[in-house]
Amino acid sequence: MAFVPGQPVTAVVQRIEIHKLRQGDNLILGFSIGGGIDQDPTQNPFSEDKTDKGIYVTRVTEGGPAEVAGLQIGDKIMQVNGWDMTMVTHDQARKRLTKRNEEVVRLLVTRQSLQKAVQQSMLS
Amino acid sequence: MPAELKQEQSPSNQTSIAMMQEPQEMVEETVTVEEDPGTPTSHVSIVTSEDGTTRRTETKVTKMVKTVTTRTVRQVPLGPDGLPAMDSSSPMGSYTDSIDRRYLKNGERFITPQASSTLSRPYNSYNDSYPESHEGQYRPYIGHDGYGDLSDSYGSLSRGVGYRPRYAYVPGGTYRPDEGSFTLPSRRDTYGPVAQPQVPVGSSVDLNRSQPERFQPEPYGLEDDNRSLGVDDEGYELDPDYSTVNRRTSAGVPERGRPHKGRGYDDPIEPEMVEERLPYLHGGYAAPLAQPERGSMASIDRLGKRSPSIDSIRKDPRWRDPDLPEVIAMLSHPIDPVKSNAAAYLQHLCYENDKIKKDVRHLKGIPILVGLLDHPKPEVHRKACGALRNISYGKDNENKVAIKNCDGIPALIRLLRKTNDMEVRELITGTLWNLSSYEPLKMVIINHGLQTLTNEVIIPHSGWESEPNEDSKPRDAEWSTVFKNTSGCLRNVSSDGAEARRRLRECDGLVDALLHALQSAVGKKDTDNKSVENCVCIMRNLSYHVHKEVPGADKYQELDAGQTTGTGSSQKKKKDDAGCFGGKKAKGKKNGDLDRNFDTLDLPKRSEAAKGFELLYQPDVVRLYLSILTESQNFNTLEAAAGALQNLSAGNWTWSTYIRATVRKERGLPVLVELLQSDSDKVVRAVSIALRNLSMDRRNKDLIGSYAMGELVRNLPSKQQRSAKNLEEDTVVAVLNTIHEIITDSSENARSLIQTQGIQKLVAISKSSQSPRETKAASHILQMIWSYKELRNALQKDGWNKSHFQSVSAAPKGSKGTAGRSGYDDSTLPLVDKSQDNEKSGSRDMIPMDELGPDGYSTIDHRDKERKYKTSDNTGDASEKEPLKNDTNRKNINRSNRASVNLVDARDIKPQPVDSWV
Repeated sequence: MAFVPGQPVTAVVQRIEIHKLRQGDNLILGFSIGGGIDQDPTQNPFSEDKTDKGIYVTRVTEGGPAEVAGLQIGDKIMQVNGWDMTMVTHDQARKRLTKRNEEVVRLLVTRQSLQKAVQQSMLS
Repeated sequence: MPAELKQEQSPSNQTSIAMMQEPQEMVEETVTVEEDPGTPTSHVSIVTSEDGTTRRTETKVTKMVKTVTTRTVRQVPLGPDGLPAMDSSSPMGSYTDSIDRRYLKNGERFITPQASSTLSRPYNSYNDSYPESHEGQYRPYIGHDGYGDLSDSYGSLSRGVGYRPRYAYVPGGTYRPDEGSFTLPSRRDTYGPVAQPQVPVGSSVDLNRSQPERFQPEPYGLEDDNRSLGVDDEGYELDPDYSTVNRRTSAGVPERGRPHKGRGYDDPIEPEMVEERLPYLHGGYAAPLAQPERGSMASIDRLGKRSPSIDSIRKDPRWRDPDLPEVIAMLSHPIDPVKSNAAAYLQHLCYENDKIKKDVRHLKGIPILVGLLDHPKPEVHRKACGALRNISYGKDNENKVAIKNCDGIPALIRLLRKTNDMEVRELITGTLWNLSSYEPLKMVIINHGLQTLTNEVIIPHSGWESEPNEDSKPRDAEWSTVFKNTSGCLRNVSSDGAEARRRLRECDGLVDALLHALQSAVGKKDTDNKSVENCVCIMRNLSYHVHKEVPGADKYQELDAGQTTGTGSSQKKKKDDAGCFGGKKAKGKKNGDLDRNFDTLDLPKRSEAAKGFELLYQPDVVRLYLSILTESQNFNTLEAAAGALQNLSAGNWTWSTYIRATVRKERGLPVLVELLQSDSDKVVRAVSIALRNLSMDRRNKDLIGSYAMGELVRNLPSKQQRSAKNLEEDTVVAVLNTIHEIITDSSENARSLIQTQGIQKLVAISKSSQSPRETKAASHILQMIWSYKELRNALQKDGWNKSHFQSVSAAPKGSKGTAGRSGYDDSTLPLVDKSQDNEKSGSRDMIPMDELGPDGYSTIDHRDKERKYKTSDNTGDASEKEPLKNDTNRKNINRSNRASVNLVDARDIKPQPVDSWV
């Protein structure tokens, strides 16, 4: 899933729609993210390509909105509500996910299992 | 007023880059505050003009008109009216619930309906509380006086007429504020917040104004009543809290709530009022029930009250208001309460009424009011100050001048030193804020009041302590109205040119306190309010041209060496810079020349903490501004913070080198790039220019070229539409110039411009833009791109040819450079001569604000340009724009670091939280 800045990225993606959960004053999605172009990509345990500075799902709350929606640890977030997440800082991604006025977040994610499944199906 | 504010920010930019400088004008802002004394609620209107845009916000600060009615007797009436009455009238109760509880309590339920809509919940709660406290103590004074009297009178008068209509009107009535006064001191707090929020709401001029207008008519009637009661005034003084409370309340609620009681009176007196009120009426329906109560109260209160004359006046339908000369004559009446009432009435009359203000001036009322500022009785100087605040508000600068001509400014400052009354301080600083919007008065305010304002308001409210107790926690800033007004005043005066900036920078404790306040705001994540906006704007203004204006700045000039030495040295210097950019951190590294500079600078040596104006340009401030840029939602604040970085990163002294590197190290580039998506035109412009200045640092240039190009291009207009955001010409030009800057000496960046589909937009702009400036700027970029021979293949593959890049440019440039250009085109390299010509002409074209340019950069630029030319790179135009930087860049052009380039310099990266919950 390595990519070159400025070049289109091709990936097998899945759409995931998460309905935020209200906790007190906060709307939560129930997962955490890592990565971003301002982060050290070599620290990312989920990426195949250790230069990939994308946003990855690092933790998912059990029973939380994200898990219910099918998000998994290690998923790479490609888009949030149409916004590109492959070339953003960690904080930008966080902000994009936590817009207070958005109750629903639509993610475009890719994960290695998806990628492999497609490859195998194509090979076979 | 808006116009007044221009200038400051831009200057800094200018210095660094001509183009950039222009935008800098951000500094100027004018804020006007007005209050209407007459109306119980005081209105504060704030006019901010930025970049020529004027906004008016009127906030109603409820100032109480001091409803004086002191009569204790009232209590009895109150009891019935206020609580009992309420209880009795079940219907009312219901209303109250829906509407405002307060009103109910007072028995003014009628009003409530209207008020409720406007009022915030806090009020309601207060209302509830009121009954208890009020009954015993407060009510008698405040509520009753104002309201009770009114209502009573109304009751008697109006009843015959038909109360309901009145009530409806009432909502608009001024009195309500008075009721607010009833509220206990604690209430204030609540009110305060409420009231202020309203202001923002009122930001739209229309809204604000509408409110005030309503008030005015009604208030008069009511106010007069209050005033008439001389005795009452004294009573008021006794309860200072009320006064303040009331104000706020009214401010928040003012429009809707107050009117009720007063209205009744007004109606009889002024039929006109009714019409205005009518709209409100809907809300007022509940009123009918209340009416009975009023009547009862009214009768009681009035009877009890003093100032028979007044009472009689009120009662008498034929009663007439004193005319303006009479009111002004009353300002000199031997009896103090008459003075204060006359002043309060004047404030009321002047609210939103430019003609009355003018008439007061012509009738010589202003010197008398100013004279009353020194009156020993708080009630008198408070009212006088209130009147002056309203008179000083507005576009009629003659009024401001009149206040100044009778030494009103020193009188205000004197009173500020003398009084501890918060309300009076708010009025004083509000008046000064209004006065500060007029250019010729700025220096006067600085001369008479700068240090006092700083010592009396800015420092104490900022929480800053010059000698902090190490054991105690640093105090937070308090965003009081006084602080807001004062910072607004200083914000205005800080835009009055180099001398004003110098005075503010050298004012003891000012910069320290402002920085402390901002740090406190960031710490509390409270960065959207007006006070923060004012502070950031002051900082931005003071940061303008620091590299030239600060004492001893010449020691830090990196260019100076070069200039004196001649071209050779300058080149060296550039090399040094390059080195710095490339790898080093700002502070530590230096090459030959740099080392020298550093030594003289003794940056590392600094034995004592920076203080005063030195704080303006310490690299530490970068983090502060970046935090504000990250957190704030206030466009003005964002623009100012970006402008501050723009100003600080301009220029060629050592500190700006540090600042540029620090922005990178603090991960500021991504923050700035993200703000290119802002919906606010001026934010995009300021950020764009800041990026341009920052790209004087070679490493920043690489990073910005890689990661900001897409956003920059996105801000350009496309064929279909001006641009997604419909940006103004200035902004588009700023973006174009920034693009030009970052592709200069960097074919890599030029390549990323091509990859982001920028060529299409640029060609469209250069060929079809209606704006000559945009056309010119775009053509400069295209020429620059074409000058990179290694890119031509790619360009031609995309279907572009030389004509797209050269003819275009030639056309826009027109007379100035055309001849030369054509020649260049062939060679790709601009001839020196030509380039110079271009520069001259170009500077104009590029930057409308040529005047700004004079700073001296121009000289520098030329040298740089020459060098550049020799080096053979860009078109002359480009060189013009980018003075110093280019040389450095060129040498580095061939860097191989590219791959490693990140928005954040790898070396600078600090360990950060790896993930965050969302």
